[in-house]
Amino acid sequence: MNQLSRLSALGAILATFTAPATADENLFGSVKGAETMPEGSWEVYQIFTDRSDKGTGDYRALDSTTEVEYGVSNKFTVGAGLKAIAVESKGLLVDGYIPGDYKRDLSVAGFEATAKYNFLSPALDDFGLSGFWEFDYMSIDPHSGRDKDTLSLESALLAQKYLLEGQLIWVGNLSMEGTYAKRGEINNLPAGFEWPTDPEMELEFKLGSGVSYRFAPNWFVGAEINYETEFETEVGQERWSVFAGPNLHYATANWWATLSWMPQLEGGGEMIIEGDDLHLIEKTKSEARLKLGYNF
Amino acid sequence: MKHEMLLGALLPMTALVAPAYSADYLTVEQAQRQFFPNASQFVDSTLDLDDDQRDQIKERAGTRQRRDNQRVWRAEQEGKNLGWMFVDDVIGKHEFITYALAVSPAGEVLGVEILSYRETHGGEVREASWRDQFNGKTLDDTIRLGKDVSNISGATLSCRNVTDGVRRLLNIWDLYLKHA
Repeated sequence: MNQLSRLSALGAILATFTAPATADENLFGSVKGAETMPEGSWEVYQIFTDRSDKGTGDYRALDSTTEVEYGVSNKFTVGAGLKAIAVESKGLLVDGYIPGDYKRDLSVAGFEATAKYNFLSPALDDFGLSGFWEFDYMSIDPHSGRDKDTLSLESALLAQKYLLEGQLIWVGNLSMEGTYAKRGEINNLPAGFEWPTDPEMELEFKLGSGVSYRFAPNWFVGAEINYETEFETEVGQERWSVFAGPNLHYATANWWATLSWMPQLEGGGEMIIEGDDLHLIEKTKSEARLKLGYNF
Repeated sequence: MKHEMLLGALLPMTALVAPAYSADYLTVEQAQRQFFPNASQFVDSTLDLDDDQRDQIKERAGTRQRRDNQRVWRAEQEGKNLGWMFVDDVIGKHEFITYALAVSPAGEVLGVEILSYRETHGGEVREASWRDQFNGKTLDDTIRLGKDVSNISGATLSCRNVTDGVRRLLNIWDLYLKHA
């Protein structure tokens, strides 16, 4: 996986050869805070998400997002990112979703554009509230690794509250994402395997919350929880799942790192194994995420 | 697939490369001399605060007294009380901000100095234009960020905690030092 090696080397270099500056509010792996960046400041992120284990067969996937953000004003932040995906599945055949063994090395999969507007400052107004919007284009299905064009628009409300003078931080997120998707054709599908290539629409709702506690200067430990559900044109409610887990955040004045681990606690909808209590078709048993950021 | 090694490889690397960054601008002694150039001595008057006292401070100031001892010196000239100088830590975005507050014998703010500030953004809290807002304030003033103390964008949490800290220290002066 040469591209991956290069990316990991870049991430390490980024983390290693940086002088001091400050971090944004990326205390969590999944949920987001309401703070925006100071006017004229820049931030570069590298995010790796390891998705593994579908309960049967052998499945691992890695998502990579390289993103840059800019503070247009003290209340308005914009960003742009490049996404890459690696997927390997063996011994898995899920009708309509995962058409057999497949391996895709880390490949550029698409891009994203984001915007965040701060309505209320968590430090100044006591309760922080921001709007967040993200537009994505992807050319690879993150589940199967096969060709699939998707256009997504997410709209979210991000709330944040400082407690104990900022030693304890709570955030809450509510988001809705609409997606247009069209799969590419696959030759030599297994007999009777369904792989619809007609355009489809998906609507995803997310509800998330997290708390983070500063247990020493620069160090934060926290926990976060996410409920996600998705509705799709063919099957109605396609899935729902609850992920929750711990995170650890370290920030110097210039760069920061966040590590989170989110196992799936419960899930439903379309299932690989009927009667299972986890949704493992589009999700995995756990997600581990490493975020590295540099402010300048 | 080798990418499972990625997280394991990067994490220790990020932990090892964290430079300890700090910017110390004034020592306690320098701040004492700056606020009270005519003082002949500074008497260590550190307050040991029990839980009830800390609760009382929180109730009056509206913000928590984190430490059970509060560093403070009385500036004297030939036995005459010139005022008090507190040294305090408040939470910044990532690290503590250490600042000094000078209070007159009548409970009026003589000045605020930032001794250590370790954040990238918001270094403006060190600038006189922001700190001078506190000069002359007493407990008769609101001393709230966004009301009678202006904010610095990009350092809102730091500004709020220093402002709340000044109000808290004035309440400590009122409770325990006013008649000392």
